[in-house]
Amino acid sequence: MTMTDSTCIECAPRGEIFDRPLALELAFTDTYRRHRNDPIALREAKCLRVQFPAILQPIDGRDLFAGRIRYPLVGFSPEPMGLGYYCCFKTVRETLEKLPFSTAERESVEDMLVFWEAECTHAKTRAAFPDSLRRALPSDEWMSTSGIAFPLYRMAGITLDYGKLLELGIPGLKRLAREQAASCDGERSLFDGMGAALDVLEDSCRRYAREAAELAAAGGERARELEQMSEILEALTSRAPETLREAIQLFWLYALLSGTWNYGRMDVYLGGFLADDLESGRITREEALGLLRSLWRLITAYDNQYNNRVFVGGRGRPDEKAADQFALLAIEATRTVITNQPQLSLRFYEGQNPELMRAALTCLGEGRTFPILYNDDVNIPAVERAFGAGPDEAAEYMPYGCGEYTINHASVGTPNGVINLLKCLEVALHGGIDPMTRQPCGIPTAAPDRFTGFEDLWQAYARQVEHHLEALALQEKLTYDVTGAAAPFLLVSLLTDDCVRRKKEVFSGGVRRLGGTIETYGNINVSDSLCAIRRLVYEDRVCTLSDIIRACDADFSGFEDLHRRLLGAPKFGNDLGEADDMARRTHDHVCLSAQAQAARAGLDTYLVVIINNSANVNFGAHTAASADGRRLGEPLANAVNPQAGRDRSGTTAFLNSLTKLDPGIHAGAVQNMKFSRGLFTRNRPKLEAMLGGYFRSGGTQAMITVVSRDDLEAAMREPEKWGHLMVRVGGFSARFIDLPRGTQLDVLARTLNE
Amino acid sequence: MSRETRGIVLDIQRAALHDGPGVRTTVFLKGCPLRCLWCHNPESWKTDPECAVAPGQDEGPKTYGLPMTVAEVMGEVRKDLVYYETSGGGLTLSGGEPTLQFEFCAALLRAAHAGGIHTCLDTCGFGPAERFLELLPDVDLFLWDYKATGRDLHKALTGVTPDTIARNFRLLYERGARIMLRCPMVPGINDGDAHLEALAGIARDFPDLAGIELLPYHDWGAGKYEMLGLPRPALAAHLPDEDLLRKWRGYFEKTGCANVVVA
Repeated sequence: MTMTDSTCIECAPRGEIFDRPLALELAFTDTYRRHRNDPIALREAKCLRVQFPAILQPIDGRDLFAGRIRYPLVGFSPEPMGLGYYCCFKTVRETLEKLPFSTAERESVEDMLVFWEAECTHAKTRAAFPDSLRRALPSDEWMSTSGIAFPLYRMAGITLDYGKLLELGIPGLKRLAREQAASCDGERSLFDGMGAALDVLEDSCRRYAREAAELAAAGGERARELEQMSEILEALTSRAPETLREAIQLFWLYALLSGTWNYGRMDVYLGGFLADDLESGRITREEALGLLRSLWRLITAYDNQYNNRVFVGGRGRPDEKAADQFALLAIEATRTVITNQPQLSLRFYEGQNPELMRAALTCLGEGRTFPILYNDDVNIPAVERAFGAGPDEAAEYMPYGCGEYTINHASVGTPNGVINLLKCLEVALHGGIDPMTRQPCGIPTAAPDRFTGFEDLWQAYARQVEHHLEALALQEKLTYDVTGAAAPFLLVSLLTDDCVRRKKEVFSGGVRRLGGTIETYGNINVSDSLCAIRRLVYEDRVCTLSDIIRACDADFSGFEDLHRRLLGAPKFGNDLGEADDMARRTHDHVCLSAQAQAARAGLDTYLVVIINNSANVNFGAHTAASADGRRLGEPLANAVNPQAGRDRSGTTAFLNSLTKLDPGIHAGAVQNMKFSRGLFTRNRPKLEAMLGGYFRSGGTQAMITVVSRDDLEAAMREPEKWGHLMVRVGGFSARFIDLPRGTQLDVLARTLNE
Repeated sequence: MSRETRGIVLDIQRAALHDGPGVRTTVFLKGCPLRCLWCHNPESWKTDPECAVAPGQDEGPKTYGLPMTVAEVMGEVRKDLVYYETSGGGLTLSGGEPTLQFEFCAALLRAAHAGGIHTCLDTCGFGPAERFLELLPDVDLFLWDYKATGRDLHKALTGVTPDTIARNFRLLYERGARIMLRCPMVPGINDGDAHLEALAGIARDFPDLAGIELLPYHDWGAGKYEMLGLPRPALAAHLPDEDLLRKWRGYFEKTGCANVVVA
């Protein structure tokens, strides 16, 4: 998700020449207006020049690298602030109300707001919607309104070719831009713009070099460290990095200025520097760990818990030994810097150095929730199928953000829409009416009393899904087109395959794979609901479809017995054929329907992503009670996990259910799992065996939580959601919620003693 | 006996981590000839299915015991084959006393072995010797209860004398059975010095045991008696504390019984 207006106030700049509130925003707007009709690459370069180094923040007391940032309320950003040229209208207005401004200033600001209302990339995208899209996607307010599908306006998940950056350095990249410009027959502004953007990067290095030198001159125990920082920043303006510290510094500043925040295979592009430094005795492992820990803190300060991915491990790393050494250091940094960022992720395969997985599990066992584990042996063949990629390209698969797969620095796959599948079913059960608003929603379908059997219901549901996927895919392509027309994203295009070779901007034919993704929610609620309906209405015939509809409309009030029966129907997550087969059917349907939209929309791929963030809660709040027994307003199931508390057949049953959904037809499905601390300590071999069995059976990934005191307390407050929580006391295991209260307290106390 | 042989299954617990080596599926069979005063599974006593209502809950009656065929049970058990392979786990038959439904029990063990699945039999050891001998080829590990020391005490606490159990134990041990001794330790009831000494003696006299596991008492089954309409046995037990666990550990360290562990 993108930052919202309400958080933008944090981003107000503190640049030296922009002490006046909104001065930077006005200067930015002025520059944009003056260059409005210039080639977009040159316009962007001019705008970057206003933003940088102005919005770079001072070096913090413990930083070993320069690079902190705070975005203005009006500016240019690929990812952190939304889409391209942005304006935080609400916060600007609030600022105008709160602070004293002269009448002239006020007028300028009002004028600026009017200007961006039509000119910001978000507005331009919405304005470009044809009528059919407006009808299918009537609202943007997906957090606060009831509806099936909503557009998101953003780009996300760009991972740059940092290997190329570190090999060439700033001077090498500038040379590349010059050569490319010279080789252009006609329009060369893209490369001139890239050159100018690199000048901005160079100036940002110099600005920080000066600052570090000044801080060093002031003396103190950090003087030597800051002197070195200054020397490094100065050196980076004239040559490629030669040491780990130089490489991290350049990487980090480039990442900040590029406005992207997923960092790719760090062990590949930094592993060699680490190995050289250690071999030559330039630094010790302890010092190298200190560098990474400092970088981890800077990444944390670049606050986005949904992104900030760092990858280590996996197939396709040229110098595996050096990369492994780096990977172990990265895991150690995550283990010892206790923050929720970066989102360290470990790719692994059968035969990889086992040290990496061992270190990862130790880190997880300490309650870090990182690294996230990705199984190459399943994911690479799956990505080959989903992306139509060859094995070498698939080996560069790169999940970002919440878990959407892309191809490392060669594809984009922004999720530019969300769809509530359970709302599709709800509307299908009400003949095209949304019961929450009592208004028509989606496309009109037959009234449920005309259904002659289960397949009629399925068709009504499927048509709602397909109709909205069609619209969402077109909207995704349209967003890319409008965004591409607004800006080339110079620093992104420079390090994204194959923009330079093709001489094209990232969204205008440059990126090798222009992909789209769609976030789907409620997948498992739909399949569990359909499974319950088929069983109770069409097989056991214990009630009618309209009984179930009335029960759901009444939030089961007065239908307690039916509610119990619905809850008692088979549920996904218990390794039961009936429920898991239905989950597979709904999964195949939505994934293949999305996939089929790519060619129509003019995208290379259009794939479902089933990820976890707060959308399952937001959508749940606007979705009526459902036939899986879920009550009105309750959150939808998280990603493709079972609905909370419905997996009651043990860990292996849960894991087996997860492996039944085809991973080769989507771009990522999040698998959350919680384990007890005891499993990670006293029963580590059994834990490893369970994860090993899961991955061998086709498990793609694992996002592991080791349960804490908080989990146990929550389980006592809301036992119905914690049926999966197992505890060990004395000679046997029990489900925590089955224990009497006193024993629960006892278990709680013992856990604290661990 | 065939795959259509039916038995009454109390529960099937997958991903069981504490009923033998590795990750296991524990199948609980209904019916038990003993009535241990500390029993926390009174719903396993009767062999026939039975109904119980939890007091003060609106969940409706709960049925304990489901008739299942060998094929049905093995279908569940086989779902976790991959985890048995990665962990060295398998099937554990427990109860109740699993050998009470003898034919069903034997058929399950045989079916598991035929499918290459490791087997554990969690037994109180009470029953005709020839039955245990018949099962022996299909049991990879016996989880054998040792509940109390002294004939009268054993009878008072479990309802039966230990003679048959002890005889069966020796017989199987001599025939080369792999046996892990499991001892519920109920403070103030069966954990006297004589009991500890007897355990140390067993550890010495039966050096080929797979191990001796002490299972500290807990009282989680207490609520079930009320549900089943059974009187709760009078048991003046208290829960073991850290000091007591330390005492037990210390005793077996001192007597050189490395084979004894507190679970």
